[in-house]
Amino acid sequence: MQELDLSANDFELCLKCNLCTTVCPMLAVNPHYPGPKQAGPDGERYRLKDPEFYDLTLKYCLNCKRCEVACPSDVRVGDIIQSARLSFARSSAPLRDHLLADTDFVGKLATPFAPVVNSVLGWEPVRKVLDSVFAVDRRRVFPSYARERFSSWFRRTARPMQEAFSRKVAYFHGCYVEYNYPQLGKDLVKLANAAGYGVELLEDERCCGVAMLSNGFSDKARKSAQTNIAAIRKALSGGAEAVLTTGSTCTLTMREEYANVLGMDVSDIVDGIQLATKWLYERLEEGTVALNFRSPLKPLKLAYHSACHMVKLGWSIFSTEMLRKIPGVELTVLDPKCCGIAGTFGFKKENYDYSQKIGQPLFDEILSAAPDIVVTDCETCKWQIEMSTGLSVQNPVSILAQAVSE
Amino acid sequence: MKFDTVIIGGGLAGLTAGCILLRAGQKVAAVTKGLSLNEAPRNRFVALGGVYLPGDSVLPGGEWRKNRLLRVYTKNLGKTPLEAENFILSTGKFFSRGLIATMSEIKEPLFNCELDYDTDRGKWCVSEFFERQPFENFGVRTDGQGRVFVNGRVAENLYAAGEILAGEIDIEQSAAQLCRNLI
Repeated sequence: MQELDLSANDFELCLKCNLCTTVCPMLAVNPHYPGPKQAGPDGERYRLKDPEFYDLTLKYCLNCKRCEVACPSDVRVGDIIQSARLSFARSSAPLRDHLLADTDFVGKLATPFAPVVNSVLGWEPVRKVLDSVFAVDRRRVFPSYARERFSSWFRRTARPMQEAFSRKVAYFHGCYVEYNYPQLGKDLVKLANAAGYGVELLEDERCCGVAMLSNGFSDKARKSAQTNIAAIRKALSGGAEAVLTTGSTCTLTMREEYANVLGMDVSDIVDGIQLATKWLYERLEEGTVALNFRSPLKPLKLAYHSACHMVKLGWSIFSTEMLRKIPGVELTVLDPKCCGIAGTFGFKKENYDYSQKIGQPLFDEILSAAPDIVVTDCETCKWQIEMSTGLSVQNPVSILAQAVSE
Repeated sequence: MKFDTVIIGGGLAGLTAGCILLRAGQKVAAVTKGLSLNEAPRNRFVALGGVYLPGDSVLPGGEWRKNRLLRVYTKNLGKTPLEAENFILSTGKFFSRGLIATMSEIKEPLFNCELDYDTDRGKWCVSEFFERQPFENFGVRTDGQGRVFVNGRVAENLYAAGEILAGEIDIEQSAAQLCRNLI
């Protein structure tokens, strides 16, 4: 029977062993959440009979995918929950969720007025209004917006130099690099150039869609996905050896959720979507790329946090192995625990306390490791850890770009 | 990625062997599908410097030179193989899919290791439910040093430990015994 592949995300393979229940970070702090087994494969049997069985507490799922990593039977527990939220939730989403989910819209609006927006979002009275009117928790620190979008910088400054390279890669920068933190994109360009590759941007790029999926807007997510898939396909057939990413969640969304949650076909491009550290590691192993690092001025104490979606991809080892190549680096690999923010989840007033409670053991471990810099491949983990520990958090690509000699 | 030993299946047997080898100074990786029920062996393995790859699975086959397993590939690591001097197969029995039973035969799915089991389907179980069932003793055949047989020959550097072994076994002891040949 198992060969027949009866359901979309293999819920019928669940043996009720409950391993997923033991690793769910939300269940550990929130007794209202039924846990991944109940919310996923168990609940699915009922929902398929009658959508009335849809349980509103499914909104508590962080989509961290730890249940899927733990599952010995290959049930895509997280995808089942994510799909159920998209097809069965019927209440309309508040304006807040639209704003949190539409990163492209808000980003385009905010970047021209970045200095104003940033300081306004920091004002206590404004936060109080956001808190009481929009239910965005006033304790949450917002990522700041950049004055210039990454793609504008790239076209203005970096693009002409890329022609000098015969080998090229495309870069999917994502909303965070585009509107909030162009420095990471600049670091990627520097690193790829140092490796002998020219960088190009995709012809058109939208948000990967993860925030839309987790806030229940599957039509919008599908539109973004269509644009991205077409642009990635074009780049790969147009000579780019890979489409590189610097965010683990965008990577997972495009490689796995486009297919498993949105039902789109990405089989021809999935191998071409690669996290920059993994891609670089592979090139170094092949011997087609050599990187030279500057000799260290002083030892650098790093603590690497494996984001949940990095654990799901199974790729943390590529980032840590790359970091270990830098002379003078002293690396602590932290126990892979969830930081609790889960994208837009931790911004919502009703979730803030759960979010911080889930992350506390990780924050404690980071503080006792006392690194100079915390390193992680996920942007929202970065916001959460910076806000909650006061330490600086950087992407491995930035650390590598700073250490590489040009 | 190069290791001294790669453990395929990071349950109690695999991680026990892993910890012993790490203490002997080896570089060890463990690929684990699912989670071991007890976190203590995993924590110990990681604390001793083991590379733990959760939620990943080794793909069937691997690359061989004659009777020597050179490298294995995994679902998550893609093009990057795990290379090692020695490999330990500790994927357990039927529940963890270390062994796959169909209506007519039993197979070890990764390397098609030779098994000790009764080919007479009628003798797999006995009707008394609480008796030890014959199928519980089915498992891979090993030589005196704990190495498995593939294609009628001993695999020079592929060892088996834990539940996947044929016969009545003690999980930790089987792992510890094996390590004497690897250090």
